[in-house]
This record gives sequence, structure tokens and C-alpha cells, in this order.
Amino acid sequence: MDREEVKNRVKKVIAKVLEIDESEIADDANFVFDLGASSLQSMRLVAGFQEEFGIEMDEEKSLEVQTVSEAVDFIGTYLN
Amino acid sequence: MSKRKDVHKQNLDKIFNPESIAVVGTNNSKGTVPYDIFFNILKTEFTGIVYPVSPREKSISSVKAYKYVIDIPDPVDLAIIVFPSPVCHMALEQCGQKGIKGVVIISAGFKEIGEKGVERETQLKQIAEKYDISIIGPNCLGIINTDPLINLNASFARKMPEQGNIGFLSQSGALCTAVLDYALAKHIGFSKFISFGNKVDISEIDLIYYLMEDDETKVILLYLEEITDGRALMKAAHDVIRKSGKPVLILKSGRTEAGAFAAASHTGSLAGDDEIFDAAFEQAGIIRCSDIEEMFNIAIAFAYQQAPGSNKVAIITNAGGPGVLTTDAAIQDGLQLAKFSEETTKEFRRALPSTANIKNPVDVIGDARADRYNAALNGAFKDPDVDGVFVILTPQSMTDIEAIAREVVKVSNEYSKPVYTSFMGEADVAAGVDILLRNKIPHYILPESMCRSFSRVYQFYRDLDKKLHKQHVFPDIDTKAAQQIIDTAVGNNNYYLSEDVAGRILKIYGIPVVDNELVTSPEEAASAAQGIGFPVVMKIVSDDIIHKSDIKGVVLNINSAEEAKKTFNKITKNVLQNKPGANIKGILVSKMILSGEEVILGVKRDPAFGPVIMFGLGGVYVEVFKDVSFRVAPIDEDIADSMVKKIKSFKILEGIRGKVPRDITAIKECLMRLSQMAIECPQISELDINPLIVMDETKGCFVADVRIMLDTSGKK
Repeated sequence: MDREEVKNRVKKVIAKVLEIDESEIADDANFVFDLGASSLQSMRLVAGFQEEFGIEMDEEKSLEVQTVSEAVDFIGTYLN
Repeated sequence: MSKRKDVHKQNLDKIFNPESIAVVGTNNSKGTVPYDIFFNILKTEFTGIVYPVSPREKSISSVKAYKYVIDIPDPVDLAIIVFPSPVCHMALEQCGQKGIKGVVIISAGFKEIGEKGVERETQLKQIAEKYDISIIGPNCLGIINTDPLINLNASFARKMPEQGNIGFLSQSGALCTAVLDYALAKHIGFSKFISFGNKVDISEIDLIYYLMEDDETKVILLYLEEITDGRALMKAAHDVIRKSGKPVLILKSGRTEAGAFAAASHTGSLAGDDEIFDAAFEQAGIIRCSDIEEMFNIAIAFAYQQAPGSNKVAIITNAGGPGVLTTDAAIQDGLQLAKFSEETTKEFRRALPSTANIKNPVDVIGDARADRYNAALNGAFKDPDVDGVFVILTPQSMTDIEAIAREVVKVSNEYSKPVYTSFMGEADVAAGVDILLRNKIPHYILPESMCRSFSRVYQFYRDLDKKLHKQHVFPDIDTKAAQQIIDTAVGNNNYYLSEDVAGRILKIYGIPVVDNELVTSPEEAASAAQGIGFPVVMKIVSDDIIHKSDIKGVVLNINSAEEAKKTFNKITKNVLQNKPGANIKGILVSKMILSGEEVILGVKRDPAFGPVIMFGLGGVYVEVFKDVSFRVAPIDEDIADSMVKKIKSFKILEGIRGKVPRDITAIKECLMRLSQMAIECPQISELDINPLIVMDETKGCFVADVRIMLDTSGKK
């Protein structure tokens, strides 16, 4: 799966969990500072990524991921 | 003043008197900190403009929200950041770009969580420095300014406190809410209420200086959990007290012996954190309080009443027992009962019933109503010997409590002397107490608390012009020679200086040490003893042995050359048996002083306050009796004098039951010289002179034993 596809699917999950339009999500957007994710929503994002990509991510490390591009890179390490 | 201090001085006014505020990171979830902070600002009708900043919400409580702080079209004076800690730096960076100079960071998740949090604080500091921002917090409750021209409750406290003259600073946010609740019940008002949390940027020292300049603040209260720069705190408090006459009251938590347990010397063991805080606060003129109740008991006395002209008080009571209790407490707290003039006595005789006691304490008798209190109050206030009035009331069936309370308010307003009250009880007196407190008359459930509070206020004003003391510098000291000895020891990885080496340093500093000689054979011991003159003491000298007596390394009262030879062999044998690996340097033969009083002098280097000097009754029981006093160096003759006089055994030194007084002047000189040594030789971490034998007046004193521990932080 190429990076672009991962990014699009990541944005899709974010839009669904945070109930915002995909077009509002910039590539370098910070989940909390730019998109207003609460701590509960941050956990839901992790669960959403795992489900979307069929992977099981390290819980502690995944919660350190703060931006869209970091999420794409982090998920990429599991897909490769 | 450092650049940052200048920046804070300019920005603190923006923080407490802003015209516009941005709450950065707020949301619409009621009952959460980000929402409650914003809503509290709205609810208390802040007189300026408040802007919610929220990445997702269009509005907060019907107020238009901005996605970023930089989107706000108008200037902003103060930002309250409520974002989670991982993104606070991003919000702060935008505050900098927006030109906001005052920031309060409420969020937790900083140094209190460990290394990651420390990194976050470092990031905040860098941004603050880049943009000349001043930060209060993080990890705090927020700030409150009750000034009606501002009306700011930028905190998540449940209620806004009443307006008043007390400035409250707290390191703990949780304590703040408890204090606010306590104060509301007692109608205690605040000028500023500040929770400063982790003090990443603005510290309690900046805030104390700010409150010094604040016209609304008459009393400064400070709750501290840790003191990082004790000397700076002492200086700030002293400056504020001296320049503004505003009292500084500190409640410092952790009155325990932690920190003292690992000490290698008597001084280290006796100088726990608490003793050092007590000494430092007393030197700076700070009033240390043991609990919240005592803090507010004293604070309301300062905030509500004028300074007493003297410690002479009149007690007015409707009950004999409480009158006696109050008299006892007053005397115990160093107050005096005023002596009424003939005119006052005559007036009391005319206005009060024949059964009343018209001497001080004035007993207006159990059936007294407001008219009798009125007469007694007027008489007491008018008396020239009275500088404060205590009003005691116990609730009898005929006591018109509320009318009496109103009478106290009315009459005391006509005079410029302080009045303190104790309406004893709880339920029956509640309405009367409420009248007193609403009218700023200090009230205390117990008369003992009333007397203590008056006494602390009186002492504060009495000592107001006390200076922070400078070191008395002795010019006859070869500092370089002392430093060389220490450097050599450190170079040899030797951090415990044996008695002979420590004695050399004392001699350099002009502290008299008994005649002695280090010997390495029985023959040398005999010859040295003869030269010094009998009787002598012989002690093992080894860098590996700190407690010489424990391994039988000390023998007293040796009276002949032959005995000295035998003793040399005996001590050597004892040491080989009890401490086989010890490296023996030799045996010290010293003159044995047969008369004199044994005292202890010591030094301990405290991480917050630096060198601390100790004085007390010496000998082997020093840690049992703990009759010691402490002062933070430097000290001068006044301080040395106060140290000597503070111990309970001072009377022994003064000479009791016909005994000749001891040489107190010599002790004071030793203390001042020791203080100079502690300042000039920062490598000394602990020092014990025990005992210093003090001879009769003018005959001097001699160090009979000394141990010095050097700082091992640079140890290889």
C-alpha cells in the first residue's frame, strides 16, 4: 500500500471519529491542537486505525502520535 | 535585576488587570476544566473582553469561538491555556506570535509526571524567553482578582471569593479550593488569589514583589511545598516587609525530620529541614504558620485592624473563667494587662454594677447586655495605657449576643485601637460572630488563638526595622591556607577531615583549639604529654573513623608519661580489634580542660538556604536534649547573640546560683568566625565542634573536638 493511500484512509478514520469533513484535515494537522480531539477521541482514533488497517499497534507508542503525517508513518511501519 | 525579572514586572500587571483574555483550548463539555475556566470568567462578569479559542467549536456559551489565538482580530492581554500538556507549547508559540505577554497555563502533565514533563517545561521556557512572555503555572488552579474594576476569576474554583486585602499565593491548586471554601464561610476576602503550580517561569518571589506594589493587598499569604532558592525567598520577603510594611505569612508543608536521618554529624542530624525553615523565616521577618487556621487567624488580624501601639491589652468578659484563661494566654504570649487609670476605674465604678470586677480583666458579669459592654468598651478604649481590647462573651440566657456584636462594631469604629473578639461557643453565638466577621472585626473561637494572633501582630510591627544581617568579617584569616588544606584533602579523595587536619583549619580561622600533638609511638606520646602538661586526653586519628568513642579510641585523664605510653598501646590495640581495616594516622595527645561548660557549634549546608550555623548545649547528650538554635549564615554579633540567648540552657552560661558567668563574648566570636569559614569554604558540607569548652567570663573557650565533612558531589 503506498503512502498516499494510507494517508487517505487515515483521514477517513479521523473524519469519522472526530465528525469533521475530510477536506478540513491538513496533512500536518495535530489531532488535539488543530482538530480538537479529546483524550477519549484520541483513543478512538487508535482503535479506528487498527480496524481500518487490520493491525494491532503498540498502545503506548500509538498514543504518542500527534499528527496526521506521524500517524501515516507509524501505521506504515506495521504495514511493511 | 535579571532580564526575566524585568519582563515579569512589566507583564504581571497585564496578567492581573487584563482588558482582554483568550481561553485557549476550551470546549463545550460542561464540568471539565477547559469549559469551567471560560464559564467562570463569564459568570463573574469580567469587565473586559473574553475570547474562547477552540479548534472545533463555533461558539462556547454563545460566545463566538476562534480556531487559533492568532485568528482573534483584536489585541489580547492574557491567555489562559487549557490544552492538554503535549500541545501547550504550540498554543504558547501562537500566543507569542499574537503578541500576548501574560499567560497562565492551567494544564497538568509537566514536571510532576517525570522526565517527559520536564522536557515540556523546558520547551515552554524557551518559547517564553523568545517572545518575552511571562507564565504562571503550569499545573495550577488559575488566578483571581476581586477588584470590582476587573472582576476576574480565571480559575476552576467553584466560587469567587469576597473582595478583601489578603493576597494569597499557593503552590498547591487543590489547597486553594479548600482555602476559598474556608474563607467564604468566614467572610474572609482576598485581593488576589494566585495558584502558581510548577512555577516554570514566574515564581513565588516574583509574585511577592508584585503584591508588595499592589495597593489592594495588605497581607501576603504563601503556601509552599518546596523551596528551591531559600536565600532569594528570604531576601524578597525581607524587602517586602521593610519597604511596604506588609506582613508575609508562610505555611510550609513537610514539618518532618526527613532529610536529617542520613547526616554524619550532630549538626546534620539536628538541623532538619524544619529547623532551618524556622531559623530562616525568623531572620527574614516571615511569620511561619503551622496550619491554615493559624494562618487566617493571624491574617485577619493584620487585614482588619490597625497595628497595636504596644503589647498592653484590656480584657472585657462576661464570665470569670474565660477571663482567667485569656489572661493566662495573653501573659504566655508575651502580652501585658494594661493598668487602668483612676479616671477609667471611676467610670467603670459608675457604669457597671457593684458586683462587676472593674480591674483588668473587666468582668461585666454573666447577665451583662449590650449597654454594659458599651460602657466597658468605651472605658477601655479611652484609657491611655490600653493599646488593644479583647472582648470575650459566653452565651447566657439573657445575653443579647447580636446586639453586643453590633455594639463592638459601633464602638470600635470610634477609636483607632485594635479590637479582637472571642464569642465562645458555636451555635448560639453564630449570628453574633457573623456580624463581627462581616464588619471586619477579628473573631476567634478560642481566646488562646486571639491572644496568639495579637501577639504575632505586635511582634511583627515591633521587629519591622530588623535588618538582614551581614557577615562580621575578621581580617586576620589566611583564607588561601585553609583552602589549600581542603583542596589537598579533596585531591586525595578524602572527604572526612580528621581532628588534626580540621583543627588546623579552625586555627587559621582564629577559633582556639586546645594544645595538642599528633604522635606515632608510645615514646612520642609520653614526650608530647609532658610537653603539653598533665592531665591529657589521647584520641585515635584516622580518616576512616568518625565516631572515635564507639571503638574505644578515646582515653581521658592521663596523668603521667608512663600512663601515656600504655594508653598509646591500648588505643592502638582497641582500634585494631574494633576497626581492623582502618588506616591509623596516629594518636592525638591534647590538653585536658578540667573546668568550663561544654557547648556545641556546627555548620550544615542546606540545598535551599546554603550554610546554616548551629549553637547549643554540647556533650554526648546533644541529640537527646536538642537544646540548639540555628541561623542562616552570614551572621553578625546581633545574630550570634540571639543564637546564644535562644537556647534554654542560656541561664547556665549566664551563671546560676552564684556561679561565675561563662565567656559568652568568646562564644559569639567563635560563631561569627565559623560563619565566615562556612561562607568562604563552600566545600564544607558539615562541621561539628563538640565540645567547645567555655571558660569563665573573659577567660575564653577551647575546641576540644572537631569533625569536618566535605562535599562529596565532585567525588571521583
